[in-house]
Amino acid sequence: MSNSLMKIEKVKAYYMLKDRYVKAVDNISFEINENEVIGVVGESGCGKSTLSNVLMMNIIKPLALIDGKILFKTNGSYKEISSLSREEVRKDFWGKKMALIPQAAMNALMPTIKIEKYVEHLADAHNIPKDKFLKKAKERFEKVDLDPKWLKRFPFELSGGMKQRAVIAIATLLDPDLLIADEPTSALDVVNQKMFLKILMEMKKQGIVKSIIFVTHDIATIRQIADRMLVMYAGKIMEISPIDKIVEKPLNPYTQGLLNSVLTPEPEIKKRGITTIPGAPPNLIDPPKGCRFHPRCPHAMDICKEKEPELKEVEPGRKVACFLYSEERS
Amino acid sequence: MISKQMWKYIFRKLIFLIITYIIATTIVFLLPRIIPGNPLSQMLASLSQVAQANPEAIRAAEKNLMEEFGFGKPWYVQYFEFVSNALRGNLGTSVAYYPRKVLDLIIPVLPWTLLLLLPATIVAWFLGNSLGAWAGFRRNTWIDKGVLTTSLIVSQIPYYWLGMILIYFFGVRLGILPVGGAYTQGNFPSFSWNFFVDVLKHYILPFSSIVISAMGGWAIGMRLMVIYELGNDYVRFSEALGMKDKRIYKYVFRNSMLPQITGLALSLGGALGGALITEIVFNYPGTGFLLFKALTTLDYPLIQGVFVILIASIYLANFIVDFIYALIDPRIRLGQEE
Amino acid sequence: MFKTMFKPLFQNKKFIIGLIIFLIFLALGIIGPLVYKVDPTEMTWDFEQPPSKIHPLGTDTYGRDILAQLLQGIRSSLYVGFLASVISLAIGTIIGTFSAVKRGIIDDLLMSFTNIILTTPSVLIAILIASYLNVRSLEVIALILGLFQWPWFARAIRAQLMSVLSREYVYLSRMAGYSDFRLIIEDLIPTIATYSFMSFVLFINGGIMGEAGLSLIGLGPTQGISLGIMLQWAVLMEAMRRGLWWWFVPPGVAIVAVTSALLIISTAMDEVFNPRLREE
Repeated sequence: MSNSLMKIEKVKAYYMLKDRYVKAVDNISFEINENEVIGVVGESGCGKSTLSNVLMMNIIKPLALIDGKILFKTNGSYKEISSLSREEVRKDFWGKKMALIPQAAMNALMPTIKIEKYVEHLADAHNIPKDKFLKKAKERFEKVDLDPKWLKRFPFELSGGMKQRAVIAIATLLDPDLLIADEPTSALDVVNQKMFLKILMEMKKQGIVKSIIFVTHDIATIRQIADRMLVMYAGKIMEISPIDKIVEKPLNPYTQGLLNSVLTPEPEIKKRGITTIPGAPPNLIDPPKGCRFHPRCPHAMDICKEKEPELKEVEPGRKVACFLYSEERS
Repeated sequence: MISKQMWKYIFRKLIFLIITYIIATTIVFLLPRIIPGNPLSQMLASLSQVAQANPEAIRAAEKNLMEEFGFGKPWYVQYFEFVSNALRGNLGTSVAYYPRKVLDLIIPVLPWTLLLLLPATIVAWFLGNSLGAWAGFRRNTWIDKGVLTTSLIVSQIPYYWLGMILIYFFGVRLGILPVGGAYTQGNFPSFSWNFFVDVLKHYILPFSSIVISAMGGWAIGMRLMVIYELGNDYVRFSEALGMKDKRIYKYVFRNSMLPQITGLALSLGGALGGALITEIVFNYPGTGFLLFKALTTLDYPLIQGVFVILIASIYLANFIVDFIYALIDPRIRLGQEE
Repeated sequence: MFKTMFKPLFQNKKFIIGLIIFLIFLALGIIGPLVYKVDPTEMTWDFEQPPSKIHPLGTDTYGRDILAQLLQGIRSSLYVGFLASVISLAIGTIIGTFSAVKRGIIDDLLMSFTNIILTTPSVLIAILIASYLNVRSLEVIALILGLFQWPWFARAIRAQLMSVLSREYVYLSRMAGYSDFRLIIEDLIPTIATYSFMSFVLFINGGIMGEAGLSLIGLGPTQGISLGIMLQWAVLMEAMRRGLWWWFVPPGVAIVAVTSALLIISTAMDEVFNPRLREE
């Protein structure tokens, strides 16, 4: 596919501890297309936050990139950012090509200087004339429905929702191609959440950002904004599919369990009733052999305990890692 | 520049400090009156032993003392007299140096204490915080481990013991610096170059002993603050926006420094205590040395006076530090938090 | 529960080193005077002698044995430190708990009181109190010192209790299926226990340092020998100006070793138990 912004190929990223390692991202491949929103879901500890760090090449020990390639499209050709150091990626890509909205976006702004000053420092870091950049910041503030006068204030003078919007405005000031949002809505009330998602979509529609990775455990949110959904479990991708198809008919038993366990107002999910997945996610130091979900899977077969299922395309655009949809079952 | 909220903050601090000062001086007033065995009569007894030669002076001192302490009058009259005298700058008459006034004895020695304590405390604060920040930014490197281990040990060295070691090493063994005093005996205070150099030479050892031992504590605290701050989201966000480490370190440094300013205010009392004892070790003619003499002669009016003045100076310094803090931290300037 | 709690502690190098140094000095203080049976107050004609076979650490101006003094001093100083620490912990716990449980005006009053003590230059008040007492036993010294170092601890205990007693917290824990008792055992006790232990350790330091300071200014214990008293004698006799290093070096080394060992123990505990400092 030539219209993908990023290609992730067989990436393994482990936390190297003294005598063992945690396989937080284990042999993962997927592509991020231009102009799409991918929702990454999974229980906490499934490796989704590690994945967002890996995408940015924000690799700090004990996390280490063990294997695989990460390619990022800049100026029409792919650059292998996985062969660069964290510092190099940080210098050439962060802010400009890819940006991050961190988990607690409320506390993401430097608290003891005025927002305006922060914007100036940002201009400084990227060698952009200050006044030009400030003008742009004012425009962006208006775009996210914030009066530009707030630029002259300290972050603590803004309300929670306002801070969140200021953070989006600042995160997208350098027009990054990829925006990674790591559980950004978890601390917001429903009204502010809605507002936040609306602004995020607006940013994409206007072409300020090309693609968005939205990491969350909240499937209802993903349903509202994502084009595709990526389901992670114990460091592996279980399923990646267009959102309506996955909601209509989840293939992987884990996805089924996940969708069923979530209280959502979506009628097609409600119909199926609400259950929970029995058991707890495995630890990633010594994950189960075979399919990592098999101890909790209602459809587990013998092969699931022996071999790891590969992520395979079963329908056009739908990939799933499960032996239920593979010829290998027997 | 100074907003309404800031005035409010300053006003509240001021009220708090005044109340605390009143309580502290009340303790100073109450102690000799509630401790059993009337320490004052003991003082007079010991005094009459020391100065038998001049019984009249003793009697005069005794009479004066009874009057000043107001024994025999109701306690509220005593307290009222104590407060009104203190407010008028009358801290009573010394017994050991009778008939000199307590205030006249304290005023000439106070500058020596301030000259020693203030620069040493501020220098220790700056050096310690810089060292701690340096270590915190390099967490888990050998620099960090070295700074932490050294600071943990050095912070536990009492000022005065380090002073003793320094006297022995530089004053006695190497013989390159004077072993005590603030200036050479017989060299009377004057504004000459020679006197300045002489004072400076005497200053180095007591100054260094305070700076070195006080630095460790600041370094430990600052290192922790920096590590905490580095875990904050604004650091992650700024990194992800491509800001340079230098800038981010400046942010972290700024935010970590703010609590250290409050810490400075709270540490002044302890620092003063340490400096007083250091003065004794160095025979440095400051308040500590005067207090030591007053304690050995049981000169209670002088002891009380020293405390009333010292506690007041601590609170004044406390207030100044709080004021500076309010100017620097926008959250207080704009009335956001305590 | 406690086993899993303390296991990481004993894997921490700093903690082990601190603990070993402290235990060595504790043993010196407790067993030392029983093994090395020289009277620390006995005067001999061997005055101001440098270390020798008869007097391993030399003698002072009155020919008294420094090693015997040192062992006795470590014992007294540790005793004062422990006692002062217990007193501070007790006051801090009572005030912090009362504040958190009673709330309202009692809380306000107790916390203003705590803040006043916190701002009061406690060293000075301690000196003042000591100056009015003719007889100062080790216990009295510990009491004077213990009266002033509790405010931080009271505030921390109050904050901890407040958060645990807050309705939301109890509500959430009930939702999670915990009984109240289990809640207290599993959540409250470990946090407060580790914090109290760390404070206990630091209060001992405060007691040892405070005793030394009071002694140097001439207000130490009026009977017995402590590390501070040793230093005071050395200062009075100008030991450092007369080159009698064996007199003033050992007590200072003992103070620094004991207090920094305790500080290292508490720092290591912080690193192990404080989630913001944990490294993994």
